[in-house]
Amino acid sequence: MMRVAEKAKSEGNIKIVEDATCTFCGCLCDDMVLTVDVDAKKITKAKNACVLGKALFLNYEEEDRPFALIGGKEATTAEAVEEAAQILANARFPIIYGMSDTTCETQRKAVGLMDMLGGTIDSTTSVCHGPTGMALQGVGESTATLGEIKNRADLVIYWGGNPAESLPRHFARYAVTAKGMYTPNRKKDRTIVNIDVRHTKSVPVADIFIQVKPGADFELLWALRALVKNRHVDPNIEKKTGVSMKTMKDLVERMKNCRYGVLFFGMGLTMTRGRHFNSAAILSLGSDLNEYTHFIATPMRGHGNVTGADTVVAWQTGYPFGVNFSRGYPKFNPGEFTATDMFVRGDADAGLILASDPGSNFTQAAVDHMKKIPMIVLDPKYTHTAKLARVAFTTAHYGINVPGTAYRSDGVPIELRTCLDSKYPSDEEVITAIYRRVEQLLIAKKRSKGANNKRQKAA
Amino acid sequence: MSLRLNLKKKPDVPVEADSICPDKMEGLSLKDISALPLHHGNEQITVGDLFSITGKVNGEICLEGDTSRFKMVGASMSKGRLLIKGSIGQHVGVAMSGGEIIVGKNADNWVGPEMSGGRITVKGNAGHMVGCAYRGGQVGVTGGEIIIHGNAGNEAGNTMRDGLIAVGGSCGDFTGINMLAGTIIVLGEMGWRTGAAMKRGTIISMQDTEMLPTFTYACSYRPDFLRLYLRHLRKLGLPIEDAWISGCYHRWSGDSIELNRGEVLILDR
Repeated sequence: MMRVAEKAKSEGNIKIVEDATCTFCGCLCDDMVLTVDVDAKKITKAKNACVLGKALFLNYEEEDRPFALIGGKEATTAEAVEEAAQILANARFPIIYGMSDTTCETQRKAVGLMDMLGGTIDSTTSVCHGPTGMALQGVGESTATLGEIKNRADLVIYWGGNPAESLPRHFARYAVTAKGMYTPNRKKDRTIVNIDVRHTKSVPVADIFIQVKPGADFELLWALRALVKNRHVDPNIEKKTGVSMKTMKDLVERMKNCRYGVLFFGMGLTMTRGRHFNSAAILSLGSDLNEYTHFIATPMRGHGNVTGADTVVAWQTGYPFGVNFSRGYPKFNPGEFTATDMFVRGDADAGLILASDPGSNFTQAAVDHMKKIPMIVLDPKYTHTAKLARVAFTTAHYGINVPGTAYRSDGVPIELRTCLDSKYPSDEEVITAIYRRVEQLLIAKKRSKGANNKRQKAA
Repeated sequence: MSLRLNLKKKPDVPVEADSICPDKMEGLSLKDISALPLHHGNEQITVGDLFSITGKVNGEICLEGDTSRFKMVGASMSKGRLLIKGSIGQHVGVAMSGGEIIVGKNADNWVGPEMSGGRITVKGNAGHMVGCAYRGGQVGVTGGEIIIHGNAGNEAGNTMRDGLIAVGGSCGDFTGINMLAGTIIVLGEMGWRTGAAMKRGTIISMQDTEMLPTFTYACSYRPDFLRLYLRHLRKLGLPIEDAWISGCYHRWSGDSIELNRGEVLILDR
């Protein structure tokens, strides 16, 4: 496990940790100054944190729970590791799902475990920006870091997202009121456009708000692409999308004539009808505009380290999510090897849920199957999924108790600093222990199979 | 008498069964066929572990039992016949180049992805991605015929380059998306966004549909080539009405974002 030099000052029982990272959302703000009461094991102040960050840090409390539960009964971590390893070693189509709220170091170990088991690995990406991952394989992407956007972008378009509530510091740190190298006058140097089906809390920030009818984002994107390319657009588009041709043409002119444009898009686009084609349409619009100016299109990611899950799984297997190893090599096929599909079809015969709670947000059909098969859960909290699980581990909290690496939503790795110790093991330690035990069990299984074959041949 | 594979018991987890294919069983004894590998989740087993095998090897295989968990049956098939009595799992006829597959009931997602020849007939419904390219692939079906008697899901003919896909019932969204060439005929209704980003090719529907704003009405006419297609489909058992054969069709050109050389023909009712 990588240890980051702590930037901490102590005075009595009070510790100040500077440059800590908030792991609540994909912004991964790394300028937190945390005041920690070491004796009380509480974080008393979280300077620079937004409302979500404050909720994460100030409500942090190490619950007094068993280290592990097997079938609802208290167990030691070692006993639970043995039970989990037995479940996984005997499974034919196991799956690991989650990984968005843990470190890259743990994610890497999880990939290794599934590779050894010949199972499937999937992250929460498949139920948020998975369609974007699928789309960019087909159409590519014009992209940039949030730092570049902060310094250069003079036209910022938010589409199908509500950062005011889901990524509260996105405006102040990167895209609206941030002072950039070429945008020294902050918001005065930028034009902000918000496109959404409803009037969200992000709308007041925008100079222009375009309200599109629900389910018509693809049509609007398609019309904008056609206008950018000076192609014919059916005037009936106004009726379909609820956006006038005049507004569309005005937006297209602004996009073509800006110095540096950016399209930020959220799950309002990726998880509505059309999904990966909506993502492909906005990524293509961003690419098309590079005929005229510099333009990028980039997703706004939610969970703390969901981008890390994509990154780690991609550099380990070649694919970002929904990867299966049952033939001994990685195969990628969203819809076939994505968790919700595997549970709904009843394919998986064992599941390991790592730092996620699909029991609270998957479809009923998927949850029903999860109840039927042996599940293993690693989480600091006693989640809905943990209640369904055969084996539930209590783990330490990443970014508070556990150091490591996480990826910001633009793919920039950020180091995590700890501020409090935990009596619970990190999920990396638990996964490593499970890996070692599964390895022993598989070797024993192979030997026993070999001996049986020899006996059969001899007979 | 054909080679009969009778499923003993429905497997607990999906089985990748690309060895169930006339090409791979050609010239083998029943004992050799029994020893062909199947992938039961992460475990390699044999055909004989799951099927009782009877009959003789003559290029025709009859699959019996509930085979809805069997994937990749008929993969890379180039000749012979595969008769599937029940439903079949995903990727049936993947990369097929010849021969015929007949599915008696339903087929799961990805029927005939990236096939280049032969014919797949599904008597029931098919899932999403009929005759498509795999994710990230640039070319889907390059030849052959896929005939679905029931309904099909989203993205039928995604990125197809040649060949014929016919759906007797309705289709989901994005029929013929990214189509490069070829023909898709849908007798029922089509979902949203038909022909998005199509470069060339023909999509025909007997029901009215809403066009994307980047398609332009061109004309109404009676296409000669369509009569040949519809008569062919009638012979294959699809319920083709006389009025469709002699009917007049509205021609829409698109997608203007791409080459604008694709066409969508909608029956004038």
